[in-house]
Formats: sequence, C-alpha cells, structure tokens
Amino acid sequence: MNPLRTPFWGVEWAWLFYLLAALALAALALGLWEKISLWAQGRRAAPVASHKHPLGAILADVFLGRRIWRGGASAGLMHLMLLWGFLGLFIGTCAVAVDHYLVSFLQGKVYLWFSAGLEVCGLLLVLGLVLAVARRWLLPVPRLERRPDDTLLPLWLLAVACGGFMVEAARLAATRPPWEAWSFLGYGLSGFFPSAQAARDLFPWLWWAHAIISLGFIAWLPWSKLAHAFAAPASLYLQGQPLAVLAVAAEEGELAALGLRHLLHLDACTRCGRCVEVCPVAQAGEPFSPRDLLRRARRQARLKYSPLYRLPWLRDRRQALLERDRAADWDVAWYCTTCRACLEVCPVQAAPIEMIRKLRAGLVEQGSAVPPQLMDTLEKLHRYGNPWVAKKGAKAGWAQGRDIPDLSKSGPEVDWLYFVGCTTSIDTRAQGMARALSDVFTHCGVSFGTLGKKEPCCGDIARRLGEQGLMEEQIETTQALLNKRDLTRIICTSPHCFDTIKKVHPLFSEEGLPLQVLHYSQMLHRLWQQGRMFFDHPLPLKVTYHDPCFLARHNRLVDEPRGLLRAMPGLELVEMADHGLNSLCCGGGGGRMWHEIPGQANLAVRRLEQAAATGAELVVTACPLCLIMLEDARKTGGFEDKFAIIDLSELAARALGLAAKDGEAQASA
Amino acid sequence: MKILVLVKNVPEVAEAELEIDQGALDLEDLEMVVNEWDNYAVEEAVRITEASGGEVHLLTLGNEDDEDVLRRGLAMGAHAASHLCDEAFEGSDPATLARIFATAVKGGGYDLILTGVQSSDLGQASTGVLLAQELGLPHATMAIALEPGAGEVVVTRELENNTSEKVALPLPALVTVQSGINQPRYVSIMGIRKVRKMTIEQIQADDLGLAEEALGAAASMVDSQSLALPPMGEGAQMLEGGLDSLCDQAAAILREKGGLA
Repeated sequence: MNPLRTPFWGVEWAWLFYLLAALALAALALGLWEKISLWAQGRRAAPVASHKHPLGAILADVFLGRRIWRGGASAGLMHLMLLWGFLGLFIGTCAVAVDHYLVSFLQGKVYLWFSAGLEVCGLLLVLGLVLAVARRWLLPVPRLERRPDDTLLPLWLLAVACGGFMVEAARLAATRPPWEAWSFLGYGLSGFFPSAQAARDLFPWLWWAHAIISLGFIAWLPWSKLAHAFAAPASLYLQGQPLAVLAVAAEEGELAALGLRHLLHLDACTRCGRCVEVCPVAQAGEPFSPRDLLRRARRQARLKYSPLYRLPWLRDRRQALLERDRAADWDVAWYCTTCRACLEVCPVQAAPIEMIRKLRAGLVEQGSAVPPQLMDTLEKLHRYGNPWVAKKGAKAGWAQGRDIPDLSKSGPEVDWLYFVGCTTSIDTRAQGMARALSDVFTHCGVSFGTLGKKEPCCGDIARRLGEQGLMEEQIETTQALLNKRDLTRIICTSPHCFDTIKKVHPLFSEEGLPLQVLHYSQMLHRLWQQGRMFFDHPLPLKVTYHDPCFLARHNRLVDEPRGLLRAMPGLELVEMADHGLNSLCCGGGGGRMWHEIPGQANLAVRRLEQAAATGAELVVTACPLCLIMLEDARKTGGFEDKFAIIDLSELAARALGLAAKDGEAQASA
Repeated sequence: MKILVLVKNVPEVAEAELEIDQGALDLEDLEMVVNEWDNYAVEEAVRITEASGGEVHLLTLGNEDDEDVLRRGLAMGAHAASHLCDEAFEGSDPATLARIFATAVKGGGYDLILTGVQSSDLGQASTGVLLAQELGLPHATMAIALEPGAGEVVVTRELENNTSEKVALPLPALVTVQSGINQPRYVSIMGIRKVRKMTIEQIQADDLGLAEEALGAAASMVDSQSLALPPMGEGAQMLEGGLDSLCDQAAAILREKGGLA
C-alpha cells in the first residue's frame, strides 16, 4: 500500500471550509493592503535610495534571529523555534496545496519524510509557544509587557498547533495506516482514543475546531504583532539606507510625515522592551519609554494614513485618538537624550530616534509647546551662534595667551582646522579641554588653527532639538567659512560636532567638499601610533573610561580612547558595568544639557554609581557635555571624595608632562 | 476683532559688554531683538484672534533693518504689518512718536491697540499712553490678563505687592501689556522664511502728510544729551593668578576684613 495523504478525509461540507477560508484570506488581504498602502505613504514622503547591504547579515538577522539572541538565550531560542516551526508548517501547507491542486507528489517515501518533518515543525512551534508563555508569565522577563494580545496570541497559536496534532491523532487512531509511526507525535497521542470508532466519531469535531481556529489566526495575522514577520525583514534591509536630511522645504506642511523606513519600524516592533531596558531616561524613572512612543506613532500613522480610517464613521474616533496621542507625545518629546542605546539593542533596528526628531521638529514649527529654556537656547544659538551666552565673540576667550592662527582671517596655511565647539570654548570646566588639546597639538608639532571668535555652531543642537531651519542656516554658515579657506581637514573636541560635521554637513555641501573629520581622540591616537607623541610622565592611577554616546554608539569609536589610556604608563584601566557600545548616557545629549526637566532624575548620578563600583580614582571621558554632566553629578551625588572627573585630552596633556592648567587643576585637586 | 500691536526692535544688552561711542550705544556687537514686552503683546493679540477670529496688524517705526521685528511677528501669526521708515522720524521723543503713530493708525478701524508697557532700551513707558491720548481712546497699563468681550475688554492690571486691579474699557481701547501675561511661542527659522514673501506696507513722512517741523528732534521736547555707563566704583579689587592662588587671596581678604571667624 503506497503511503499517501487523503485530503478532507472524513470531513463533509468541504464547501463551508472553502467559504471560511475565503473570508479569512480576505481579512488577511485587507490587513496587508492597509499596511502596504500605509508604507506607500512613506515612499512618497522620502524616496528610498538604493544602497548595498550585506545579504548574509540580513539573512542571519532574519532567519537566525542574530540580534534577538543578544537579548538572552531564551529569547533567541524561542524565536528560532517559533520562526522555523511556523515556516516549516507554512511550507508544508503550501506543499499540500500543490499536491492537492497541481501535481501529486506526496506519496511513498517523500510523504513519510514530509509527515515526519511536519511533526518536527509542529513540535518546534509548540515548544516555542510554551517558552514564550513561560517567559512572560513564569520566569518572568521583566521587560515584557502583559497586554491582552500578548497572552491571547501565543495561546491561540498553541490551540492551532495542538489542535493539528489532535486531528492527526484521531485520524491515525481511526484508520491505523501501517506508516503511522512516521507521524510520531500524532501516533503517540492516538493512544488516548479508546477505540477506532470513538476517534472516527470525534474526528469531524476536532477537524472543524482546528480549521476554524487556524483560519481565525490567518485572519488576525496582519492585524496582530505577528505582522512584524513582514515588516521586520524590510526594516532590517532598509537599515543600511544612507542618512538623509530632508530639506526643510520638502517637509513643509506635513512635518510629521515619516519615510518608508520609519513607517516599517512601526510594524516591525513587537514591543519586546529591550529599548526600555537600556533607555537611560526610562531607567532613571522618568516618564518616558521608547516603546510607548513607537506604539503611539504606529497608531498615529494608521489614523493619519490608513485608508480604513477614511471611513466616515471612524473619522470622529480618529480625531479624538489623534488628539489624545498628540498630547501624550508633547509631554515626553524632550526627554530623549538621543543616546542611541535603544537602537543598539533593537532586534529589528526600529528605535524611535527619527520619530522623536520629527516630533520635536513639529513642536518647534508650531512654537507654543517648546519649553522656555529650550526656546532661550535656540534663540541664543540663532543670534549668537552658541547655546550658552547672549554675547558675540565669546568663543575665543579660552585661547587668551595662546598664539593660535585664526583661520577665519587671512593667515598662515595650516594642516588642520581645530573646531573647538560651543561648549568647549565657553564653559569654564570644558575650556580645559581646548587648552589641553592646543598644548598637546603644539607639543607634537601639529600645524593647526581655529576659527577664533567667528567659529559658528555646527548645527548639532538645532538638529537634535528639531530646529531644522536653524540647523541648515548654521551648516551653511560653517560651510561658507570652511570654503573660504579651503579647510577640509577638521579635528573636533566634541563628539557631537564630530558626528554632525562628519555625517550631516556633506549632505549640504554644494561642492561636495571632501571633508576629513576626526574626533580628537582619533587624532591623538594617530599621533601616538606615528610616534609623534610619547607619554613619558607616569600616572600611577586606576581609571575607568566613560564612553560618550556620540563616539561609541553613533560612531563606533571605542578602541582609540582605550588605546591611548593603555599607552599611558602607570594607568590601570578598569571597565564599568556598561561600557563600549553599551555605555550608559550621562544625560547631556539631545539638548538636555540646556533643559532642566522639572523633577528630573539625575542620569549622570546613575552613571557615577557604576564608576564608584569599579574603585577607580579617576573617571575619564572624551566629550565636553559628558565632562560637565559627570562633574556636576560628582558634586551633587556625593562622589567628591571617591574620584575625580577628567577629560582624555587633559589626561593626555598630563601624561606628556604639559603643565596642568585651570580646569585640569580643578580636576586633580 | 481687529487688533493693532506696536512693536519695537531693541538691542539685547542683558549679557553683552556695552560700549559707548560718542554719547551713543555702540551697536556693532549687539544683536537686535523684539522688545520683550512687545513680544508678549503680539502673542496675546495672536491668541485672541486664534480663539475668536479677527486680524492682527503690526506697526513699527525704525530703519530698514528693523523690518525683522515685523517678520518675526508675522511668523507668530500676525496678518499684516506696516513699517514707518524715514530719516525724518529720527530723534522723536515719545510725544512726537505718539503723534506719528496716531496719524498712521487713524482710520484703521482697530478695536484694540496693544503696546508693551515699555521698551527695554529707553524705558520711558510713555509712547503707549500718549498714543491713547492722541487718539482719544480709553487706556489701561500693565495688563497681566485680557478678556475681550462684546464692545469691551476687561483688563487685569498688575499693581504693587501682588495686588491686581480689574478694569473694563469700552472698545476701541489701548492697553499696554506687562511681561508674563503669557508664554510667547517660539518662532522658528522656517516660520520666518514662510512669511518672507508677505508684503510689508512702507510708510514715509510724506505719506502721513505731517510737516517736517512736526517730526523728529525738531518737534521733540525731550532731547537726549548723553549716554554713560555707571562709573567704576571705589573699593573694587581685581585679583590675579591661578585658581589656587585666587582662592588663597580671597580667603586672606575675608579673614583680614573679619568675614571669617
């Protein structure tokens, strides 16, 4: 007897099944159509550029869930089992359809192996689902939410999978084909039926229950968080899109419009909560959660663009929901420090950084909900080219007594423009960095100059605060100054200027000036590698290094600063719990340096608690904002007798035996 | 409701280092900004029209660069702007200014005229009330709340020691607005770019039909004689040296003068 599959064995009214299947497929199609028409809106808002992306990496992310494993082995295992169980069963169902309607091939050996294969897939699915439920309810993993659909969805799928096995078991118990052992699970379960007749009687009931539950699931699929199966691979692929800053004019009218990539993010998110777990703001107890923001953005995108919400009877509800979400967004718009920790851990590369920027841009355009302190900061930036003082020409004060060529005027040709930056040139503590660096450069024979008191703001703060027009204006001012003297090689003190000049400025440069932009830690590392800088003053100190977000996460620079620290004789480097790409933000980014949120938690204090745990005598960083935030937290958080805060530039100057000056004297005191 | 707001471009001086050049403020290193009180007045006017309809017109007097203050107000939501721009207006005292404004405003059909309580540069706080006098309008000063109603406006005036007074004025009326009446909105660069193409009505002395002797310094009863920075007082001592040395010196002085027990 040739083993083969008997479709609709023991089932009457097959037409009813086809009717229900058609309904389920219609719901599936409607859901997908809604999503696709929504994503199409994003294509209109921002065209998708062609880009190369290593296919291997995408496949590893999608089919092995590489980024999911990083959030814990049980998460990785669960997803792998679910994905492959699901995929296997999906392929199996397609094979059955082909076999039934097109070419019959499921017979003999092929059918036996096929049956066994489906058993394995079913088992994987069941195990994955049990693990999913256990992770949420029994372990439980704290970052996971327990919304109704978080429970309903795995239980529903479990009903689908177990129902499938029960149907199979009943069929085997009723017919006892000689090859039944190949369907090993169903075979095992078939023993529970008291007799062949009982199994035969029960079979139609089980079959129909399984059919209805399965079709229900298919109808629900695109409306549930399993829609990420469609959006996440696309999101992972588009992650390689080049940075695009939409011209202000292009965003007029619809500032909140998101591009395709960001609309895909909304559906790629499964609310796994990794972002909340690492968000320095959420972890400090402030009322902000990247996950909630994304969820609201998803709803808003649907309300705004979904063809379904064009239906007249949904319009009022749409308006009410939009207004409620808008109010919630306005409340939290200014919390984010743009530290990028969320994106680092997101399995689908879907963190809401761009959404926050758009949200802020919308608020800035609208004007009335910008916090007064930030208004003041933006106005200072606009009028005086810095966020600190309402005074022109404040940027050259730190260099008094130093003979540094002013490249904004006609002067000697130099190799490098040293872009000091607003905070480094004005804040009294951060000025120590500028002095130390200029001394180190001079010591090492680097030919450099600055833009003196004409140095503009690079536009980073305006960009982070959503003041697009101001950002453009500042980039144009900077570019004009650079072009005048053909300055193309730039060293920045601040990782923030570095990031913006390196990544955003070229997008606005008409000549497409080949800018070579370095953070000073790269420059120092280069000087050390070339043997132009030799640390000859031993510093017998135990130090720990705080990675600035804009060096580590935004620009992947974690080795250069550490290389320098290791090159300094006597220094012992110890790491904090969160370091490198997982660094914990000091709380000064995203404009928060200039914005005290009422009742705000001190993010920097949390960071220094980690520093204290290392037993280091010195906390080293490489960013003026980090330096100020950590220095303040040292004083307010009671760490004054534990350690000092110093910038890498100041420490380098000390290891070179260059006299300690001003701010540095403070740090070493 | 048709509202007129008088606005003025003034130098921002709070954190700047001032220099006096030939009896006048050296504006070279100073930024011009909208007079703080006027900014509140514009915001209040825009809010009134946003809530209950109407139009906001802006009026300033100054040189060509002072057009910025009008653009900014338009970006905040004002509907039209006029610029009194003529060398003949220079040197006018508040009474003369009020006459110029009155001539420009007459026949405009405004229900409400708002000005700042004062300007931050000269601080005379008189142009507004003198304009009310010229136009024969009832006026109230130092408003910290406005409630426009049918045919009247109820004004809450800020008085000393946290007291306030409510007065009702029949419309049309003039009110000078105190700072803190609202939180003025942020004006983005894009917002200003958007109003770049709006036409601003230019008004010169000839258009007003005022004789030359009725304008400027010639017509003014008050003449600015000189401007001076406060003289450096006696008893200030500048310390020099590094941080440690500064601290030691300061502590020594405190100890010496009996400031430290």
